Amino acid sequence: MTDQHHDDHHHGLAHTASLKVLLGTGGSLLFLTLITVLATKVDFGASTNLAIAMLIAVIKATLVVLFFMHLKYDKIFHSVIFVGALLGAVLFVGFALMDSGQYQETVIWDPLHPPAAPIGPKPIP
Amino acid sequence: MSQPHDHHEHGHGSRFIQHHYDDAQHQFDAGKLGIWLFLAQEVLFFSALFVAYILYRSHHPEIYAYAHHYLDVKFGAINTAVLIGSSLTAAWAVRCAQLGQRRGLILNLSVTLLCALTFLGIKYVEYSHKIHEGILFGSKFDPCVSSGGSPLVTKKNECHGTKSSVVWDATAGKATEGCLESAKIDLDPKLEGLQTRCTVSELSMTPGPDGKPALVPNGKTFEPCPLAAAHGEHGAAAGGEGGAHGAAPCYVLSFQPAICPAGPAALVKYGDHAVRRDVGIKVECEAAPEPTVGDPFADRTNEPALGSALISERPAPSKHELAEQFAAGPPPPNTNMFFSIYFAMTGLHGIHVLVGVIVFIWLLLRAIRGDFTPDYFGPIDYAALYWHIVDLIWIFLFPLLYLIH
Repeated sequence: MTDQHHDDHHHGLAHTASLKVLLGTGGSLLFLTLITVLATKVDFGASTNLAIAMLIAVIKATLVVLFFMHLKYDKIFHSVIFVGALLGAVLFVGFALMDSGQYQETVIWDPLHPPAAPIGPKPIP
Repeated sequence: MSQPHDHHEHGHGSRFIQHHYDDAQHQFDAGKLGIWLFLAQEVLFFSALFVAYILYRSHHPEIYAYAHHYLDVKFGAINTAVLIGSSLTAAWAVRCAQLGQRRGLILNLSVTLLCALTFLGIKYVEYSHKIHEGILFGSKFDPCVSSGGSPLVTKKNECHGTKSSVVWDATAGKATEGCLESAKIDLDPKLEGLQTRCTVSELSMTPGPDGKPALVPNGKTFEPCPLAAAHGEHGAAAGGEGGAHGAAPCYVLSFQPAICPAGPAALVKYGDHAVRRDVGIKVECEAAPEPTVGDPFADRTNEPALGSALISERPAPSKHELAEQFAAGPPPPNTNMFFSIYFAMTGLHGIHVLVGVIVFIWLLLRAIRGDFTPDYFGPIDYAALYWHIVDLIWIFLFPLLYLIH
């Protein structure tokens, strides 16, 4: 889109978004919101429904970041900062998920049905 | 950067360009770097809550499947649209500021501000409804209706139109009276007949011999609710509890493991919407007689297809019916965790919206004063970037909290 400098021109201190881009982005976001709500009403299986909802959310977030936040036309260093933070968040979630598999399901168990011996409370002698 | 023009010509540049910057561009870039670092921090800040959400959902999907029915998709969707609209006007405000369009700037800032206030207004409606219904976090989670709309046994026992046999000791954190031990009464909630061996009676508040109010039997007893009425619960919920309304008072034995871990409690449905604080419910159940087991194969010679006939009478429930039954039942253990996470995430997001409101009021006042010019519009740009991040987080919160399938 570098050849589109006539539409999306740099005016003074920073890139100025054209009205066409702004309204187009806003319209797409509203349309994708409608699609997300409608997609929930169709049963594709729980994990597929979640994947569709998350995919649409990621597309919407990308639109916001690229056009509303001007990251597409902004300094590359700002992208580095932002993507770096996202990668940090992904690492955080990923390692927490891996780690959580190492523990028992819940620490508040039903006193009538305590968990089996290896993880349950020690019997009182 | 390579055009060192007019930064020392006073009277031409904005009076807000501070002397320690080379020029307007220098000041703008420094601020922009600062806001992007702040946004990176915001992403990491919220990621901690997303970790809580994802971990809990991956380990307890049933809680999310149950609890999201308490949220109204309509409100979530309207708020999403409102935030997207305000994101558009915030970006538009930046454009107006860059082009020196003061009227457009004021208009766009005003619309952004109005949208932010609308968002908070809708959140207020949602939150106050949840506070009123006891759909809260931690031990405060004590709703009068299940996520599918059927009445529940609660700790506070002050629900409209119902009263349960449970007496909850808040300090001990458990029920002291009114819970039945299912081992003693041997009941199957799906079968009629086995529940009729209980005596459920009403107690009235009267001054006792020592002057203190006491609950004494007033002679009123209740019949078990007809099975058809219990079965039509979700229909009644859909029709605004029209099914139970006006019906004679009756009781059901209701399972609610968070309140009575060992068995059911009696729940009297009065068929109206009154709150009864001055009555109690007493329940006594006899142990069911030992089932007399005869020769299980006595009839095998004349009815070879007996089993299949019984099975074909009740077709396997569909996925949708199962989901409805699940939502009509009591909350699964630790459902309060969904609302702890819900209130933490939407609450923190709401605080960000509130901060946005304050910032946009400040910017609007400055825009009306005429502070912003094409060589000084940094605050508008930075606030808009912040506002986009707030919108972006809601873009994820909406499907994760409201649109669970």
